[in-house]
Order: sequence, then C-alpha cells, then structure tokens
Amino acid sequence: MTGSPLMIEARAVEKWYPNGFHALRGADLTVHQGEVVVIMGPSGSGKSTFIRTFNALEDFQKGSITVDGIALSNDVRHIDAIRREVGMVFQQFNLFPHLTVLENLTLAPVLVRKRPKAEVERQALELLERVGIHEQARKYPGQLSGGQQQRVAIARSLCMEPRIMLFDEPTSALDPELVHEVLEVMQELAEGGMTMVVVTHEVRFARQVASRVVLMAEGQVVEQAPPEQFFTNPQHERSRQFLRQIG
Amino acid sequence: MRSASPGPVIPWWRDRRLIPWLVQGALAVVLLVVVAFLVGNLVRNLTAAGLLLSWQWLGQPAGFDVAEPLLPFDAGMPYWRGLLTGLVNTLRVVLLGLVGATLLGTLAGSAAFSSNALLRALARGYVELIRNIPLLLQLLFWYFVVFLALPNGAQAIQLPGLVLAKSGLYLGRAALADGVWQLQSGLRITVEFAALLTGLVVFSGAFIAEVVRGGIAAVPAGQWEAARSLGLAPAQTMGRIVLPQALRVIVPGLNNQYISLAKSSSLAVACGYTDLYSVAETTLNQTGRAVEVVLILLGSYLVIDLLISAVMNGVNRLVQLQER
Amino acid sequence: MVPIPQPDSAWRRVRRQLFASRLDGLITVVLLVLLLSAALGIGHWALSQAQWAVIQVNSTLFTLGRYPLEQQWRLWLLTALLAGASGLSWGLLRAEPRAGVNARPWPRNDRIAVLLLLALALLLPAALQLTALIHLRWLALAVLLVLARWAAGRWGPLRGRWRPLVGLLWPVLYLLGMVLIGGGLGLSPVPPGEWGGLLLTLLSASFAMLLCFPLGVLLALGRRSALPLLRWGSVLYIEFIRGAPLITLLFLGQNILGFLLPGGLAPDRVWRAAWVLTFFSAAYVAEAVRAGLVALPPGQLEAARSLGLAMPQALVHVVIPQALRVALPAMVGQFIILLQDTTLLSLIGLLDLLGIARTVMANPAFLGRNAEVYLVLALLFWCCCAALGLGSRALETRLNTSHTPAKA
Repeated sequence: MTGSPLMIEARAVEKWYPNGFHALRGADLTVHQGEVVVIMGPSGSGKSTFIRTFNALEDFQKGSITVDGIALSNDVRHIDAIRREVGMVFQQFNLFPHLTVLENLTLAPVLVRKRPKAEVERQALELLERVGIHEQARKYPGQLSGGQQQRVAIARSLCMEPRIMLFDEPTSALDPELVHEVLEVMQELAEGGMTMVVVTHEVRFARQVASRVVLMAEGQVVEQAPPEQFFTNPQHERSRQFLRQIG
Repeated sequence: MRSASPGPVIPWWRDRRLIPWLVQGALAVVLLVVVAFLVGNLVRNLTAAGLLLSWQWLGQPAGFDVAEPLLPFDAGMPYWRGLLTGLVNTLRVVLLGLVGATLLGTLAGSAAFSSNALLRALARGYVELIRNIPLLLQLLFWYFVVFLALPNGAQAIQLPGLVLAKSGLYLGRAALADGVWQLQSGLRITVEFAALLTGLVVFSGAFIAEVVRGGIAAVPAGQWEAARSLGLAPAQTMGRIVLPQALRVIVPGLNNQYISLAKSSSLAVACGYTDLYSVAETTLNQTGRAVEVVLILLGSYLVIDLLISAVMNGVNRLVQLQER
Repeated sequence: MVPIPQPDSAWRRVRRQLFASRLDGLITVVLLVLLLSAALGIGHWALSQAQWAVIQVNSTLFTLGRYPLEQQWRLWLLTALLAGASGLSWGLLRAEPRAGVNARPWPRNDRIAVLLLLALALLLPAALQLTALIHLRWLALAVLLVLARWAAGRWGPLRGRWRPLVGLLWPVLYLLGMVLIGGGLGLSPVPPGEWGGLLLTLLSASFAMLLCFPLGVLLALGRRSALPLLRWGSVLYIEFIRGAPLITLLFLGQNILGFLLPGGLAPDRVWRAAWVLTFFSAAYVAEAVRAGLVALPPGQLEAARSLGLAMPQALVHVVIPQALRVALPAMVGQFIILLQDTTLLSLIGLLDLLGIARTVMANPAFLGRNAEVYLVLALLFWCCCAALGLGSRALETRLNTSHTPAKA
C-alpha cells in the first residue's frame, strides 16, 4: 500500500480534556488511499477521540494531523476544507429528525458545495438505492428502523462525495439482527475503493474487510497488523489480552 | 492545536483560537457604544431638566396619604416612608395571596384526580376559564362587579362571624350604628384589598392547580394501587401517599408561580389598593424623579423575587432530602 | 363466580362516574345544585337585568377607538385582505401532502370551522344591531374567506412554483397593513394616538409577537453560547426582565425612554409600549427556546458540522428548527400571556380594548354597566386565547409526524 498516496497522517497526537483527563498519549497512524483501517481496543482507550480529531470534532494539544494533504491547524478554512473531504458516521446515526430522508442527504451538498438541487436529488436517490432504501426517501428518520437509519447516515455522508470515511462504532447502537445490513453496505463501500477508518468491535468485519487492524490502549496505538496476523498471532501482550476478552 | 510542520502563518481572522475573542470583542464594542450613547443622553437630558440622580428628595415630606397603611403613615412623613409603607402593603397582599393561592391550587389540582367526573370537569373548567382571561380584567371584575356591588348598611350580607358590606369585610363582631357598620372585635378588610386578594388567589390558583396536577400525574400509578390495597380512603391516599411524593415535582414549579404572583400584585392599582407601584406612581407625579423611582421599583421587586426563590430553594432541598 | 362483564350502558357509566359512593353522590348533588343556581342566576341577569346597549352603541369605539370615521374604509380593506390571505393559507396548508396522512379537501374540522364562521358573520352583527350595510359587509368578508379557502384547496397544489410566494404573503401584508392603518404612501396619516380598542390590542400584540420571536431565539442561543460575554450578557438581560413586573417596565418605557434618546428621537407613547412588550416577551420566549436547545442531542450539531456546514448554516437548518418544535407549546403559552398583557396598556393611559372600556364606563350614560362590558371583554379574550391554544396543539401534532413509527 505504500505506493498509493497518504490520506491521513497523525503523528504523536496528545489530547487532554478540559477536566484534565489525558485521552491521547502520542497516538500515531497513517492511512493510505484505498485502505480500510479497523481500530479496536478496550473502551476508554481513546479510539473514538482519535478518529474524531481527524475532522476536528475534537481538538488536540500536541502532535500533528494531516488529512488529504491539508495540515489540520487552527485555520478555520483548513478545518472546513477537511470536513468537506471527510465523511463521518456516528454510533447514534445523528440523522436530522425534522427532515425527510431525501432532505437529510441533499442538505449539505446544496448548502456547502452549492450544487443545483435537482442534480443532488438525483444523486441522493441513486445512493439510497445503493444502500437499499430508496423507497423510503420521503419518510422521516423516525419512521425507519435503526439499521435503515444508519444506512441513510452512510448515504448522507457519501452524498458529499468524501475522499475518506470515518465510522465511529457504527453498529454499536443497533439490535443484533440489524448489524449485518449496515456491515454489508460498509463492505461494498470498501470494495469500491473508499478509504475508511472504522472503530468497531465486529471481529468478522475486521477479518474480512480490513486491510489493517490497529489496537489502541490508553491513548496509544499499541499494535497494527494485517487482520490474519493480528487475530492469529498478535505480537503485543495488550493485543493478546484484548483478544482473550472479546474472544 | 499545533501543526508540526510550521507551514504558512494563519491569518488572524481565520484562527480558530482567536475567532471567539474577535466576536466577543466586536460585541463588547457595540454594547459599549450603545450604553455610552444612552447614558450620555440620560445625563445630558437629566441635567437639562435639573433632575440629575439624587436621593435627597426621599427625605422631603410626601404630602399624600396612603390608604389602609400597615405601617403608620401620614402626609407629613417623608417620601421614603411612603414608599416603605407601599412595600409593606405589597408584602401583605403577596403573603396572603401565596397562602390562599396554594390552598386553592392544591384543591383544584387534586380535584383533577377525583373519582367524581363532575368534580374533575369543574376543576378543568376552572383552570381553562381563568387562564385565558387577562388578570387585569379579572381584578376589575372582582372590584367593580363583585365587591363594589355589595350592599351597604342594613342590607349587608350577614353571616355568622362575617359581614360583607360595601364599606368593608368585617371578620369577627360588627354592629350597625347609624347605618354604618362598626367593628367591635376582629378584623376589617377593605373591599379594595379583598378584591385584589381574591383576584390574585383565583388567578394564581389556576396556574398552581396545573403545577399540582402535573406533580401528581408524575407519581407512579403503582403508588395509588398500593395505597388502595392497604385500605386507605381516597382522601387519605391523596394526602398521605401521593401529595408528599408529588412535592418533588411541584415545588420547583411553585417557585415560578409564586414569583409571578408577587409581580402580578403590582396591578393593585386597578382595584384602588395602594401598593408599592401605586405609591411610586404618585411619587413620580409629584417629584418627576423618574430614574430614581424606577430604580427603587425594580430593586424592590427583585429583592422580593430573590427572597421567594431563596425560601423555595430551601423548601426544595428539604423535599428532595426526604427521598433518601 | 366471576360476574360476566356487560357492555357499559350510559346509565352504568353515569353511576360509576358520578355516584360511585355515598360521598361521591353527595358531592355530585351539591355541585349540581350550585352550578344550576349559578347558571340560572347568570341567565336571568343576562336576559332580563343586563343592559346590552352599552356594547351595541359603542361597538365601533370598542373595535377601533377614536380612529377617524372617514378613514375607516382603510380598515375594511385591510380586513378584507386579511380574510383573503387567511383563506388562502388555510387552503394551501390543507392541500399540502403529508407523510402518512391522506390530504382530504374538506376534513370535518374544516367544515365545522366554516359553519361557525358563517354563523358568526350572521349572528354577531345582528346581536350588535349594526346597520344592514355593515351587516352585509361582514357577511361578504366571511364568504370571501371561505371562497379563498376553497380556491386555494382546489388549485393550490397545481401551482407548485407559487408556493414560495405564500411565505412572503404575510410579511408583505403586515407592512401593507401598517401603511393602511397609519397612513403614508399618499394616504393621510392617522397618528398612533388615534388607534384604539381591539385594533390597538391586536396591533401591539402582533407587533410584539413578531419581533420578540427572533430576539428570543438570539437570546436563547446567546445563553447557550460557549462565549462568556455572550452568555453572561444574555443571562443578565433575561433575568433582569423576568425579575421585573411588566407594569414597572411599561412605566420605565413611558417615563425614562425619553431621557435615554436624544430629543425628538423617542417614539410615540404607543410605540414605546409596543417595544416594551416586545423586549419583555423576548426574555420569556428565550427561556422557552432554551429548553428546546437543551433537549437537542449534541450529536445533531456534530453531524451538521462534520458534513461541512458552517456554524450559522448548522444553526439555521439543523439546530433552531428542532429547538423550536420542542419550544412551541411554551412559546404559544407566552404569546397567549402577551395578548393578555396588552390590557396593561390601559394602566399607562393608552386606549386599548380595556382602556376604551374604561372610558366608555366613565360616560354617565353607561355608568354602572361594568358587568356587561367586562363580561364581553372576558369572552373575547377567552375565545382568542383558547383559539391560540387549540391552534398550537394542532400544529404540534402536525409537526410531530416525523417521530411517529412507520405504520406500513
């Protein structure tokens, strides 16, 4: 993968929360174009905080992050530029309940990218068809199941045509029987060549889809390896401990 | 946040750390300019009118009378004493109003859970009727239509221990002498005070009833069932089991209604009762000291509000403590 | 033996609801006797003792105050425009397709409303003993409203591209109404001092409602802001206003505003009062909106921001619409209080509905007719406030469609 361009480069990122909690303690990560990186780790290890720094939802105090060639700094213009290129899917879906499914998809492209509404709507309907819910386009999010809502959330991000997709525990809030429908959409997305960073506990997804699995513990990246190697022959004691716990 | 590669310097107007301060700085400048403009005008206009802020006039004799003062007061006393008398009159009606409105509101709020459908409908009707009619209109109604219409002299309504006449409400023993009622022992209430108090109690009672109803509705249904299965009568269930638990929800809501009642008492002037606001209005008309009078008014009501809040916070702490 | 459950007959229901126990029966009987005697007393008074001439003779005064007679055609025109616009909006609102609900051209509530409207247009002028000409005008206005409603419901859905114009209709109409009432643009001016009665009440209430709303939203956002100056400024303003009785603020507006502005810039007494009402209500609206903001999950703003929306865009399109939905009942409650609070204008010497009423009763010809006048005013306010409350509840259920689970 070293041949393809670098999409995310995080170096020695340190973050303290206002209450003094030291959440990230020198976390490093590089992600190349087309890679699917799955981040695992015990709760409280800073996984979510880490990927939330990639689109400036969380700030950090030390280290550096470069996304798609743009250095994340305090320049709001850079932050806006990065957010346009990075899509994010949340654990709680965070769909806008007062807008229809279609309006959820078209809101940002029309407002941020200033694209004509008719064109965006056409694209949105295509995306909804891709995630298998185009017949719900005129419904409100509250009328959909959790799995459907999360698929809409993925489509909403894709409608901005991002170059990178971040997933923050996308299936943790779902009923078990609905998890697979979201993972299927994510797998298709990965096969289409999207650069993805996924925080998840889904081992099967990691084994089948990830190009690399990263283990975080106590605000640091402890180990990263191809999934086969990570799950069968982990090098680090923390990894073995984690695998025993979830195993 | 810091970029490891030094990179180009961020223009200050795009720096995420500076933007909040820029916004606030701009706001502060605008506010300062507006305030300076207003205060500058105020000082200039007051100087021109010879009314620059001063409190000397408070010591001058007021020259007006206060009807039914609780504090002894006559026209020879200074303005500050007049205002104080008005404040005490306000406090009197507020305190009695709080007690009355709480009783009426609790009754009406509990009646919404009665097994008797007529009583429930009546409680609902009371709240819907009162809340949709302006308080000022209600006060005028009580004063002009109800209390001023009371007959005088021998035609007065005489009940055991209570005489209702246009010249006043006599609690205790009163006797008719030369067509005029004379209090022998007890209490005489003017119709002005009675109209104001009735109006405030009935109006606030409706709002308190809603607060009480909400509080009772928040008590889990299992509590009613448990009390009934223990053989408690409906009134006992309400008084001993449900209301004490509902208080946790009721007390914070009561605080708002109490403050609202205190502020509403400033409409006393509609019933001809002399309260703080009506003394202040007279004072302004005589002295022209608008700024000082408004400051005194706002300050007094603020203190009353804070007092009520402080007491209710204490009550709230007690109520919440009982849970543990 | 378990008793076989029997269908709840009307008699059984009455027994259970009113005479469940001996105490219940006693309460029912006592209340019935009291209510009946009160109803009889009021009915007897209203039909035989009350003298309704005070309302009939002064009906114009009650509605318009001392608005110049020869200029009153402007108000008729305005009422006609309002009736047309109401019918239009009503029809379009009904014609709008809603998720999950089939739009029917004339639902039951609408048929009842039309009947009520026509009955009112027929009976009210008769009760007030207005002249035949005015009687006819009111009837024509009612018919105009219903016709506009019908036309909008019939053709509204077809004219999709006209839809955005409807949103503009009301602001334009409001400005036009101001011109019609106050004069200007070639119309002879009628100073605010001559507006009175219901006109002044509705005008000051609607003015304050319109303006306190954006002001309240800004204050609520300020109070929730992360910027300390904004936050503390908003808190200070809101708590200062909420700590003071309205009458003292009106008093301040009448007596101090003149000192605060350079000579000649201070607005007319009526406008001062309207502005005080606006600033007063804004603080309460802000508290209602704040409750809506608090109820909003933080993920909503994060989602909007991570989609690249700038802060103002995120506020306008995501945060505020949702907060307003939660705040709606409390806000309408505040509007109802605002409408009632306009009566306080009479205490500072303005001739609103209540102010006019008091001048009418000071007329020796109508001395002692308090009960009739106050009763009519109370009825008027009650109907307006209850209608606002009903409308708010209807709007709430309508907006709530987004949260109902799928039926199919």
